[in-house]
Amino acid sequence: MPEEGNSTGPADPIELWEKWYDTTSKAWSKSLDGSKEAFVDPFGLYRTWLKSVDVTQEQMKVSPLGKMDPKEIWSQWLGASVDVWRKASEGGADPLGLTTQWLEMMEEARARILAEGNIPADPFTFIKQWYDATSETWAKVIGDIIGTDRFMESAKEFTESYTSFYRTFRRANEEFFRNLQLPTRSDIARVAELVIGLEDKVELIQDTLEDFEDNFAKAITSDLKEHLDQVEMKLDALPDILQQLTAVDGLENRLDQVEMKLDALPGTLQQLTTMDSLENRLKQVETKLDTLPTTLQKLTAVDSLENRLSRVENKLDKLLSGLEKNEASEPSVTPKSTNSTRSKTKETKQGSSKD
Amino acid sequence: MSQNKTTQNDLERAFKKYRTGMEIILEGAKADTGQSPKEVIWTKNKAKLYHYEPMVEKRFPVPILMIYALINRPYVLDLMPGNSLVEFLVGQGFDVFMLDWGTPGDEDKNLSFDDYVLDYIPRAVKKVLRASHAEEITLLGYCMGGTMTAMYAALFPDKPLRNLVLLTAPTDFAPDEMGLFGVWTSEKYFNPDRVVEAFGNVPADLIDTGNRMVRPVTNYVGSYVTMWDRIMQGKSMDTWLAMSKWVNDGVPFPGEAFRQWIRDFYQQNKLVKGEITLRGRRVDLSNITCPVLNIAGKKDHICTLPQAEATMRLISSQDKEFFVVDAGHVGLLTGSEARKVLWPKLLTWMESHSK
Repeated sequence: MPEEGNSTGPADPIELWEKWYDTTSKAWSKSLDGSKEAFVDPFGLYRTWLKSVDVTQEQMKVSPLGKMDPKEIWSQWLGASVDVWRKASEGGADPLGLTTQWLEMMEEARARILAEGNIPADPFTFIKQWYDATSETWAKVIGDIIGTDRFMESAKEFTESYTSFYRTFRRANEEFFRNLQLPTRSDIARVAELVIGLEDKVELIQDTLEDFEDNFAKAITSDLKEHLDQVEMKLDALPDILQQLTAVDGLENRLDQVEMKLDALPGTLQQLTTMDSLENRLKQVETKLDTLPTTLQKLTAVDSLENRLSRVENKLDKLLSGLEKNEASEPSVTPKSTNSTRSKTKETKQGSSKD
Repeated sequence: MSQNKTTQNDLERAFKKYRTGMEIILEGAKADTGQSPKEVIWTKNKAKLYHYEPMVEKRFPVPILMIYALINRPYVLDLMPGNSLVEFLVGQGFDVFMLDWGTPGDEDKNLSFDDYVLDYIPRAVKKVLRASHAEEITLLGYCMGGTMTAMYAALFPDKPLRNLVLLTAPTDFAPDEMGLFGVWTSEKYFNPDRVVEAFGNVPADLIDTGNRMVRPVTNYVGSYVTMWDRIMQGKSMDTWLAMSKWVNDGVPFPGEAFRQWIRDFYQQNKLVKGEITLRGRRVDLSNITCPVLNIAGKKDHICTLPQAEATMRLISSQDKEFFVVDAGHVGLLTGSEARKVLWPKLLTWMESHSK
């Protein structure tokens, strides 16, 4: 395979195809036994088989029409096919050991099919019968082959050559169309990447908005909701409160009245204070009056004293009168001070008795 | 005359059947698949997140997000009415979503598991939770989708992840357990870099060939023998046509993801050793602690029993179950065993884990 990157211009796709075919044929030939210098035609075995089918058909023409035995036909067909594989195996062309295994499989299939009593004329029924008879053998053979290291090595080489060719082919096509100033798949893919990037950014914005709505807005709205619920609960109590307010108005009026009455309280209290002072004065008066009986007793005693004084005075008057008479009879000097004293004493007594 | 007429009718019927078969062979199988009503609730690049319309009242608050593989199309989970896991789950009252990766283009050749596990799946989970008004989610991964789901669960083991269901999800890629895949993807015979450099995205045909060659006789011949048999016997062709359509409806494998899948998983078996890193974050399956239902097929030759069972010894979940179905890789989803065994098991398990 030509190395990539050494070409100076766009490669011809057809030339590349031809190179690929040559290369893969060489790869197959390496893995096949019995092939030395020349290429192996992968379809050679099938051409041989088709030739044998033609030979069989020529033989069938010899048989009279309408009286062919289907079993005989299939027997001949199977015999021809088995012969092909046997010859191929004996000739040494046995790629990957397939020929030997397929020979065994054909032998087993022929035995199973011909073991049936009647070969159904209905082709579909026959296909089903043929499949049921041979599928297990087929599966075993193929399963044994495709899991072997030999097969995997061949598959690996095929994969590597095919992927190398495909990569070169793609690049060549890209270059070809680029030179023709036509958009290529990679150009369109690049634009699509930009669109995807833009979509990502819009997605981020949408995510942020949804996060805000889900987390913050919901928290806020849930708080608001709670508050609203609380306000609503309070408002539900409003009619009762209003009723209470109405009652309060009545109470207010009564309170006003009470207040008015209470406004008179200070004056009343002052009166009470005055009353207290009066009470004290009364107490004082009472105290004084309590002394009155004693005083009255004293007055009574005073009266008695006054009476005694009056008697004493009368006596003194009589005495004086007598003395005066004595003096008249005798001319002598009478003391004036005694009369004035006597008259003052009378006035004093009269004054005190009026009190 | 009547015998001639009978022969003529027989010939006409036979010809009609022949024509039916040839149409399928020449034009490909045609079938109405993915018929469960759904709507697209989110897109990212080529990926689409579908929400299946509920048919009955939702019984379970935990929605299910199905994550398929990067190869083939996910409508196998919703193959046809009466043969659809999605239809079954929706009918039981689950809220079902599906992440369809779409068909990658040339611009997606650099997409890797880092992008799928760290960008696509987390965003899809967020969208599902939002659409379903849920706080937790059940992830259901099939095949490679199960491997990706397990990696996501290992990196994000906490809420909102509630349950993990793995369907034929390989986690251990020991060569001895992989059969022919272990031979074909061996470092000795297969270099993924060459394929990625040549093709960009690995063609669907190449992936399909690899899968078919595990059982070549059955896949290449047996399926058509079955087709003819069913046509000739007048049996229903609906399921065969739907399956054939799906098998031939592959999608390219993004190049970088293919390189990772072959090199890190198949060749070096890094996942089971805990050596997979996605954007510097080490994937350790022992971080998975949620309830896990791990389902595998006894006759599965693509994800063998040991490959799936290895998950059980790697995870740290207390509530975990390994369930084996006597079916193949696809048969356990859509065959008679699916309806009799798998679907009831899924229903019972998810009912008890979705309350």
